[in-house]
Amino acid sequence: MQFLTPAFFVGLGAIAIPVLVHLIQREKKRVVAFPSLMFVRRIPYQSVRRRRIRHWFLLFMRAAAIALIVLAFARPFTQPGAAAPAAGAAGARDVVIVLDQSASMGYGDHFEKAKDAAKKIVRGLGNEDRATLVLFAKNAEENMRATSDRARLEGAVNAAKVTSGATRYGPALKLADSILSRSPLKRREAVLISDFQKTGWSGSEDAHFPDGTSLTTVSVASDGTSNASLPSVSFGRTNFSGQERITLTAGISNKSEAKLADVPVTLTVEGHDIETLRTSVLPQSSSSVTFKEFTLSGANVRGSVKAGDDPMPADNTFTFVLSPSEPVSILVVDSGGGRGAGAPGVNDDNSLFLSKALSIGTTPQFQVDVVPASRFAPGSLDKRAVVIVNDTMFPPGAAGGALKRFVERGGGLLIVTGDHTTWPAAGTSGSPEADLLPGKLGGAIDRTDSPTGALGFLDYSHAVLEIFKAPRSGDFSAAHIYRYRALEPAAGDRVLARYDDGAVAAAERKVGNGRVIAWTSTLDDSFTDIGVKPIFLPLVHQLVRYLARYEQVRSWYTVGQVLDLSARAKNRNDRVIVAPSGARTTQQASKGSADGSLELNEQGVYEVRNTGANVGRPEALAVNLDPAESDLAAIDPRELVASVTGHATAESAEPTMAQEMTREEAEKRQSLWWYLLVAGVLLLGTETMISNHLSRKEKFL
Amino acid sequence: MDATQSVPGARFVDPKILGRIGTLEILARTVVEGFINGLHRAPFFGASIDFAEHRGYVVGDDIRRVDWRLYARTDRYYVKQYEADTNTNLTVLFDISRSMQFQSRGIPKIEYACYLAACVTYLAQKQRDRVGIITFDNDIVTHVPPSAKHFNVVLHTLDRAKGDRPGNLTAPLAKMAEHFKRRGILVLISDFYEEPDAILDAIKPLKFLGNDLIVFHVLDPAEIDFGYDDASTFEDLESGEQLPVVPQSLGEEYRALMKAHIDALTTKFSEHRIDYTLLNTGEPLDRALFSYLSSRERLMRVR
Repeated sequence: MQFLTPAFFVGLGAIAIPVLVHLIQREKKRVVAFPSLMFVRRIPYQSVRRRRIRHWFLLFMRAAAIALIVLAFARPFTQPGAAAPAAGAAGARDVVIVLDQSASMGYGDHFEKAKDAAKKIVRGLGNEDRATLVLFAKNAEENMRATSDRARLEGAVNAAKVTSGATRYGPALKLADSILSRSPLKRREAVLISDFQKTGWSGSEDAHFPDGTSLTTVSVASDGTSNASLPSVSFGRTNFSGQERITLTAGISNKSEAKLADVPVTLTVEGHDIETLRTSVLPQSSSSVTFKEFTLSGANVRGSVKAGDDPMPADNTFTFVLSPSEPVSILVVDSGGGRGAGAPGVNDDNSLFLSKALSIGTTPQFQVDVVPASRFAPGSLDKRAVVIVNDTMFPPGAAGGALKRFVERGGGLLIVTGDHTTWPAAGTSGSPEADLLPGKLGGAIDRTDSPTGALGFLDYSHAVLEIFKAPRSGDFSAAHIYRYRALEPAAGDRVLARYDDGAVAAAERKVGNGRVIAWTSTLDDSFTDIGVKPIFLPLVHQLVRYLARYEQVRSWYTVGQVLDLSARAKNRNDRVIVAPSGARTTQQASKGSADGSLELNEQGVYEVRNTGANVGRPEALAVNLDPAESDLAAIDPRELVASVTGHATAESAEPTMAQEMTREEAEKRQSLWWYLLVAGVLLLGTETMISNHLSRKEKFL
Repeated sequence: MDATQSVPGARFVDPKILGRIGTLEILARTVVEGFINGLHRAPFFGASIDFAEHRGYVVGDDIRRVDWRLYARTDRYYVKQYEADTNTNLTVLFDISRSMQFQSRGIPKIEYACYLAACVTYLAQKQRDRVGIITFDNDIVTHVPPSAKHFNVVLHTLDRAKGDRPGNLTAPLAKMAEHFKRRGILVLISDFYEEPDAILDAIKPLKFLGNDLIVFHVLDPAEIDFGYDDASTFEDLESGEQLPVVPQSLGEEYRALMKAHIDALTTKFSEHRIDYTLLNTGEPLDRALFSYLSSRERLMRVR
């Protein structure tokens, strides 16, 4: 409340007038002659009596009336509240309140302070102003559309809760800009209320406010924050008596300037505390503890590690889900009867390199069986993930059909061509299984002449070769190619690699739900020396993993990740997903993979239940906070404002009196004086009536 | 005007009307005769020659007053005493102090008192009594000795009476007490703004001489009921002192004090066998006279 003409307050001195009238009003000057004042003098008459105020309410009414009139002449006008940005500027405003609800806001009372600041802004809105509430963490949502209903806005702010999401300012600021750009109002303001976590702003966000749109920041960050967190755990697996034993190592991070001493770290598995260790962590550093081994009793074993006790408890617990690792079952079909005899009827010499390469590896483990093509039977495909036809003839008879059905059901087939490779001809007269091969197989091409062949082109975008994309991640050129089989891929087949002469080195074909890859040279030392090159082992593992559709079973996920549950499903039943908060969602398998995605928004353990399966434990997914949320270091809000608005603006929660008020606005804000004047006059009138009535009644004054 | 209606012929005795009539003689005659005609009685001084009692002879008594018949029966000397002399002196002691000038409504107190004095002297003169007047304020102003021929002089004195000085009862009355050598009737007219005891102390010497004392206390209605509304400055007519007065605040107390004053005077005068009559200038004069004469007659019967 301010006054246009405060000088009129001098008039408040007039309040003394009725007081003086009461106190020092003298008797009327009319002199009455009286024979004798003998008796009058005897009466203990106190002239002070006149000075005593008898009707306090009359005096109060007179004083109040004068005060009201003086106040009216002082022309009071309302001033906008401190937290309402630019409330005094001209015209109605469109305000977007961008409220951070990321996990880091759960530190101490940060979120309560943020909500209070938001509510203060809401209360500072004018009648014609409107506001939008945007809540954001990793993503931003328009929680309350633009409205002038302050009660609804305040209710929405009250209902806001801290989420488990990471902090990203970019999407929130873009959404605010989008909302304000659609606004029909001229005055557009965004207020960002956050703890301004440094990790949420990379500086490369493409968020820019146009001129005329202001950005105000309200920081709730605290100085000297202390926060311990568990960014990750790792598991060591060993087999003992047919059971897996897990050795868990937990890392503890200290993001404060004070040393964490003697912090208890507790491992809990299936609700039972297994072990508690103590450790100390230096400032701004990390430490680790390793618990003693425990036996993994079954699938989907839930556990957690808890460390420390600080104002942000969300990142003090790390949850995980463990299941016994499952080996990938591989059947290698070769020509048999090769060099070196093993067991009777079984000769694995032709697949020595392959079997040795696949015997190495823990994630996953490979279970390799080798069978000659002549003895290949449909039954040998049971529970196989991948079949490798290693330089041999196409399985004859029913085995060929079984192989095709195996692939069509989703199995993987790796065809390694060599001198012994035969494949039925395609076409109307040919075998229907012939189309398993991605292309038309030709004769052998000899590249023994100098220079020998090499792999010249690799499609690194393919999942198999993707890991070799980075420099020094695999030198395929080191392998020499002496011979290869010509392959003419059909339209629709994808070429993964070519030799330096342009011939196809590897091609892929999708058959049914399965995948088939043809490798036109051998995977041993007969056609090439790739088998002795460092690239061989990861290449074979990648090929098998891809064909087996292997995905590493993760023990935990990070908030914000999206999973395709339909790809993980082992059956086509509907799924019920129970979030850590208890919220249930149902995914219908009939809708396919479009409905199979699940965004992990909550910290804790999700349960995925198949409606048809009533045996065994439900699948569990452990979800932990983004480790970046534990770093509470803040950026200077001014830096963010300057980056977004394009000009340096001081960080301030104070209102920005951007423009002069219009005459209507100014008049409206000053209209209070009318009411004061009318009230003062009415009060005077009432006082006059009452005093006249009393005067008549008392005949006193 | 209940009083005037209750007394036939009193319609002429409203002081305001009388004041417009003219001379005091006509006025006094009108009042008294109208009053007598209405009353059909003339009790005033009529019994003064009647026998009153016997008393024992003492040396120096006139032997002509010895009742010889009684001596024959009792062999003792007794002297016959009569109630009054046939002719007596009536002196009006008229207070003309400044307070008597007061007038709230109707006529001033002094004027009312003049009518009263005129009436009384007229009655006395008709009775063949000698009439005189002494006017005083804080001292004796005019002295008209009692005489059968002084009625007109008395009227002239009354006509000239102007209250323009402050008054005081004690000093003039003490001086008068020394002056009176012969018994008579003294009619004291005043507003008695003194303490009752002081008034009585001043009057007693007059009574010691055997004078028959009649006291008229003249007050204006405003002095009795203090019917003022507005707070004003009241000025004492005697001393000129001014006081701020809020009538609402002290009206009750004033009336109580005035009543106590009147009651005290009534009691004290009664104790000393002094006829006391309170006259309100707002009331007709005949009513005052009737009241006085009635009480006078009653007292004479007792005596």
